[in-house]
Amino acid sequence: MNLAATPLSWNACLSGLRLDRWMMGELDSADAETVGTHVSSCAPCSAAVAGIRGVREEVRALPLPGALGRPAPRRRFPRAAVAGLGLALAASLVLVLRPPPVTERSKGAGIGLTMFVQHGNEVRRAAPGEAVSAGDAIRFAVSTPAPAYVAVLSVDPLGKASVYFPQADRAAQVPAGTEVALPLGTRLDATTGEERLLGLFCASPVELEPIRIGLEQGQDGAPLPADCQGLRWSFVKR
Amino acid sequence: MILDAAAIASLYRSHGHVVLRRARVLLGSEQDAREALQEIFTALVRNPDAVRSAGSIVGWLYQATTHHCLNHLRRARTGARVLELHVRPGLPEAGGPRGEAAAEVRRLLALLPDDVATAVVYHHLDGMTHAEVAELLGCSRRQVGYLLERAQGLWDRAEQTA
Repeated sequence: MNLAATPLSWNACLSGLRLDRWMMGELDSADAETVGTHVSSCAPCSAAVAGIRGVREEVRALPLPGALGRPAPRRRFPRAAVAGLGLALAASLVLVLRPPPVTERSKGAGIGLTMFVQHGNEVRRAAPGEAVSAGDAIRFAVSTPAPAYVAVLSVDPLGKASVYFPQADRAAQVPAGTEVALPLGTRLDATTGEERLLGLFCASPVELEPIRIGLEQGQDGAPLPADCQGLRWSFVKR
Repeated sequence: MILDAAAIASLYRSHGHVVLRRARVLLGSEQDAREALQEIFTALVRNPDAVRSAGSIVGWLYQATTHHCLNHLRRARTGARVLELHVRPGLPEAGGPRGEAAAEVRRLLALLPDDVATAVVYHHLDGMTHAEVAELLGCSRRQVGYLLERAQGLWDRAEQTA
């Protein structure tokens, strides 16, 4: 494949950088006039500018990230950990997945939380009761019949709660689908004991920090936000 | 320039599209692109000096977005391996053959050395001239030419071994 002709290759005469700088007023007046004259008579560049304007309007309509002005939520499993293949984890540590306890909140129609596990070169879907070696890479996928705001939280054996997904302070929107893979994954740490997972499926981008704090304070069964359904897993690290 | 949270929020409104548009292209995922948008501006709250000292806000956002997205593609490569046997097999890439080719470009970008991948993104995906790439990379145009030549060679080799 020629790098200049990939589906992602730029196809206007002027670069995206130059057009962005022109639109944001970063060019000097002579250069800005040159670009303006060119754009007005060049269909590909004109289309590129229209595309940039469209995205600009989208961003202006988006809610501001909650983190702008608030401290970012603490998390125990940085997503970059997936790339850190050198984590020193005891090979003998074993996790046993248990079926989610039956709760009223776990009865969401059609919603599901799936965990995939990579052990060595083998990849498999984690099933309740299945033994999983520590150090395995894990990744979550969710099933939801309609677009939903999703989060996956955990409480480790020491009672510390963290957010696996998303790397944001509110639940992130996931499209409808079966086993929609959540971005990236992680490797389990070496803490032994029982770890609990909570998969949240909400109608709005709920704030996760209050839920995380609630989990950390031992309120595992506390009511979830009104427009949320929860799926709970627990597993024991041996 | 005072860059408190309010100023960064204003910057998000005025310049956020510079990040979002390119992150969509580089990551091929609306959700990941929006996360990139949030994370880049959230990082600015913690370290406003990063952009304060930049000569061009747009240029700085290009650099930050490229760095973020290439790292994301590299991390995703590991995560994707976890799932590819069980979720993706047999499923056509979104967008048909063109979508598959786009996914292949992202996969190969994750394999390239950082400076080479960055040069590829700037020149081929952003359409920058060698001079513009050199400005953002802080190197000579000759070095840009070398990086792009090396990129095509590595690209061809990676395709052959794929």
